[in-house]
Amino acid sequence: MTEILAGRLTQPSGAPRGSRGWRRSASNLGVVFALVTLALIMVAALAPQLLTTGQPNDVAPGDAFQGPSPEHFFGTDESGRDVYTRVVFGAGNSLLIGVAATVVGLSLALLLGALGGLGNRLGDFVSTRIVEVMFALPGLLLALVFIAIAGPGVVTSTVAVGLSTAPGYARIIRSQLRSVRNAGYVEAATVLGHSRLRITLQHILPGALSPIFVLATLGVGQAIVWASSLGFLGLGVAPPAAEWGAMLSSGRTYIDVAWWLTVFPGLAIVATAASFTVLGRALNARTRQEVGK
Amino acid sequence: MSARRLLLFPLTFLASASLLSGCATAVEPATDPVAGGTLVYATGDAEPGCLDPHVGGNYPQALISAQYLESLVSKNSDGEIIPWLATEWSESDDGLSWEFTLRDDVAFTDGTAFDAEAVKVNIEHVKNPETASSTGYLAVGKIDDIEIVEPHLVRFTLSAPDSALLESLSQPWVGIQSPTALEREQAVNCESPVGTGPFVITDWVKQQSITLERNEEYNSAPADAQGSGAALLDSIEWRFIPDAATRYAALQSGDVDVIDNAQPNNISSASNDPAIDELDAPRPGAANRIELNSGKAPFDDVRVREAFIRSVDVNPGIDSLFFGTAQRSYSVLSSIEPAGISLPDEFTTDADAASALLDEAGWDTLDADGYRTKDGERLSLTFPVSTNQSIPAEQSLFEQIQASAKNVGIEIVLQPTDLSSWYGALFTNEYNLVSAPYTKVGADVLRILYHSDSIIPAPSGYYANLAQLSDPELDRILTEASETTDQTERQALYEQAQSIIIDGFYVLPLYDQQNHYLYSTSVEGFRAFPTVSTPTFYDAWLKD
Amino acid sequence: MTDSSDISTDRRTSTPAKRIRTLGWLLRRIGGGVFVLWMVATVIFFALRLIPGDPIDAILGGPGSQASAEAVEKIRLDYGLDQNLIVQYFLAMAKLAVADFGTSYALKIPVAPYVLTQLWSTLVLTIAALLVAWIFALGLTLATSGRGRLARAVGSGLELVAAAVPHFWLASLLIIVLSNTLHWLPPISVAGPLGLVLPVLTLALPLTGFLGQVMRESLINAYEQPFVLSARARGESEWGVRLRHVLRHAALPGISLSGWAFGSLLSGAVVVETIFARPGLGRTLLSAVSIRDIPVVTAVALLSALTFILMTIATDVVDRIVDPRLTKVSEQ
Repeated sequence: MTEILAGRLTQPSGAPRGSRGWRRSASNLGVVFALVTLALIMVAALAPQLLTTGQPNDVAPGDAFQGPSPEHFFGTDESGRDVYTRVVFGAGNSLLIGVAATVVGLSLALLLGALGGLGNRLGDFVSTRIVEVMFALPGLLLALVFIAIAGPGVVTSTVAVGLSTAPGYARIIRSQLRSVRNAGYVEAATVLGHSRLRITLQHILPGALSPIFVLATLGVGQAIVWASSLGFLGLGVAPPAAEWGAMLSSGRTYIDVAWWLTVFPGLAIVATAASFTVLGRALNARTRQEVGK
Repeated sequence: MSARRLLLFPLTFLASASLLSGCATAVEPATDPVAGGTLVYATGDAEPGCLDPHVGGNYPQALISAQYLESLVSKNSDGEIIPWLATEWSESDDGLSWEFTLRDDVAFTDGTAFDAEAVKVNIEHVKNPETASSTGYLAVGKIDDIEIVEPHLVRFTLSAPDSALLESLSQPWVGIQSPTALEREQAVNCESPVGTGPFVITDWVKQQSITLERNEEYNSAPADAQGSGAALLDSIEWRFIPDAATRYAALQSGDVDVIDNAQPNNISSASNDPAIDELDAPRPGAANRIELNSGKAPFDDVRVREAFIRSVDVNPGIDSLFFGTAQRSYSVLSSIEPAGISLPDEFTTDADAASALLDEAGWDTLDADGYRTKDGERLSLTFPVSTNQSIPAEQSLFEQIQASAKNVGIEIVLQPTDLSSWYGALFTNEYNLVSAPYTKVGADVLRILYHSDSIIPAPSGYYANLAQLSDPELDRILTEASETTDQTERQALYEQAQSIIIDGFYVLPLYDQQNHYLYSTSVEGFRAFPTVSTPTFYDAWLKD
Repeated sequence: MTDSSDISTDRRTSTPAKRIRTLGWLLRRIGGGVFVLWMVATVIFFALRLIPGDPIDAILGGPGSQASAEAVEKIRLDYGLDQNLIVQYFLAMAKLAVADFGTSYALKIPVAPYVLTQLWSTLVLTIAALLVAWIFALGLTLATSGRGRLARAVGSGLELVAAAVPHFWLASLLIIVLSNTLHWLPPISVAGPLGLVLPVLTLALPLTGFLGQVMRESLINAYEQPFVLSARARGESEWGVRLRHVLRHAALPGISLSGWAFGSLLSGAVVVETIFARPGLGRTLLSAVSIRDIPVVTAVALLSALTFILMTIATDVVDRIVDPRLTKVSEQ
């Protein structure tokens, strides 16, 4: 199942290098765009004051619902706040949720995957069952129940999204570890008499975990989209925090009088998620080229 | 049906004739009402769990039961109680006994006759703990005994005089159902309650729609209705569309004829659309207000309460967020309540005065984030917000209140939650500010909301006095108002009560409970009951 | 992992032995599925009781109820809510084992028929979305791969953007363009096929992005496999090569992805059902959790877990048929 997906991502193809050259230069432009976008997002997240002078929560009811203009690039929202400023400051929130959710998911996945990939039969059995149950529980239900228990907010959104993505990663990590475990150079190291710990740390883990970075970049984009959907359902961050999903959700109500409230945060989400995906795929192509025969 | 047309035709002819004679310019004569057709109504309120409003008792149930259930009395737009299923009534001198003469020509849609026995069964059903009624239960709270004097004369014996009895009985939550139907298992009756109304429930597809069809034998229209026989519409399709943007889009595209819970920006857009009309019908009872929890710190100190009220300027926000569709209210009661008083001078905004009050109350040091502290504790107010009850514009208004409170150093923590978690926060007293609508006909709502008895929780944990106002003088006034039969005295007492509530800074009124209907201009004769402002389609017809 | 040296030596194994092995495999999968269902039911049972609030509020018709103390006590006894948690758990599991899903706390109707009607509505939506996504993805991939840089870039770019779009944003855009402006389609889900178009599109387009990306990768890889070269050497036409050899291998990850995609479609269905006012499992789940209607939440969770498990087994079976290399691998 997902083993096949993982296999596609990590196995080298049998083709000679030369035929790949044309593909590389074609996607270069896309990668450049993606990197520029991500750089902008990073700046917005870490140093928003460089991109805007206002504050995201500056309320000005008299200026509400103004369209895009030289003073307000993206217009103003229902409370007169500058949408451009909120999008810039929102980068931090959204990125934080996306990255944190991916970290949570990967950490859990590492635990489960290692148990399955490196452990004995019992460990494998237990971890596979846990992963299957996590898969079978709909991600939405996990999120809803978790948020009902712990209340909405950044932390619960993060954990909820992370929990939903964990089983997928766990499967991949497990199969990666398994296949590397059986690889030639590991056998050789065992024969040479290296300790199990040394073999694990020096050979198995690095080999198995290299595609994880790629998956993580792909995952961050998806986590941001997920988190924005939770915001739409009213399960996101508390107001008045600027977060793209929450902005999209409240902007939707006013779509007949203020289209800019929906369009710009939405574009930000799509641009970020797409850029992460491009980056991830470019990294993937590079790792495969390096590992290739 | 044809009898109805016969009645309406001369009326409209007369109306158009008088219009023509009265105006210099030609006025288009009103067209004839046409029978037939299906009206599609889309509600944004939650889908009821049970269609019998005796069970529980919330506004979504009132909305739909207005089509198939009727009450003993109703109210006209002048505020007078008018006959409906009861034709006459009288109160004894001591106020402990009421007699109602009932119509003798009405039958429920399952054939059972409407009589005193039916009324008795209904009131007992509401009072029965197994029914788990909340709103209706409170409404008939003082009725101790129901006696069948004659087949169409019923006598209520009360535990104490109740000046609000007629108002309570006019509400849909005490609607009269067929006793035969009430004998069924509750789950069955919830699916299709049987009443005397102009429409009958024929189908309920959960989460999608309820179908209602015309009651051909209908003859019990209230005194302020236009027609008198069966309704004009063939059927009503009652759809549930919780998303506000979608609901309005469906009205624009013609897939739906009438919508409720219209959002302010949609109302504003609709005013430019010649194909859509608006009906503004504020709900009775309390206005939309923010209650300050005086039962615990920091709002147990009246100076902090006043400071809060002085520090927040809600008017600009109401103007911009509500597109002029909501007027600022300075009254605890809805603007359609005759007993309501409005005291704008009590609610002036004055940031300096607010700061002075807070300093005086001991909150005179600032922490690193700019919030006031006292003895190391930050002046922080928790404000749980029910996303089911507060529309987005209102939630944004709360955000603006949060921002203006920050200017004087008050921290407000907004917590948007679903309904169950919201109630949970209230039951565990984990709130300082809350906005909880309460719909009831009449000023007696003040007793329910501000009498100290209402701080005592019901077994489910619910209590209505969220301001936790406990003032013996106010209690005395409210009890007296509830028991006096003299209307002038009652009015004076309620005015006194409101002054006490407002002067104590327990409440920040915002606006009336918004209740706007938007409907296609092809719908004629649509109005809202002056009781709880629910829609009635009895006189409605489709112009095509 | 897949060891390519295992390319079908199985064809030489005797058929009865293969059948027995397949049957054994199937039985093991089904057994595993039952175990997962039980674990899901357990997790749900305890998780729902962790949510703050008394389950009795849902039965009383909401936390605002004025029900008397006697009524509350009676309900507690009737519903078995007064017993020890472990006892309640075993009783609940026993009931589920015989497929007794009980009655809804809020609606007081039997849960099973109610949830099944909602399931039908969601299934129609998600299966239609899956099919449409497949068609679009296949079409886009086949049309734009191997045709030059521009076509590839466009196809790739479209897929990227589609996969990055949140459902509710897409729904808003589609409603504005196709309904409000062009008046081609109704903005809500009305009876008949027209009412299905916008909801299905909203779910299908992001999925098209995903599937397309995966298919594109494997299509390119499949082209470079040795068997394509030998097929070409045998004189097969370009389209023949595409359809008979490459497509099969390209479709593989798409098939396995569909199992996962189906699960995620349920989450997307919530948004679509809410916006387009469609009845369905997603909306049912959302409202059931918010009013703490435990029997309904349990039923929906189990139903979706069951659907997911069945889809997984189905995709594994399809995998085995399409790619015989796998028959060995699944023995891990």
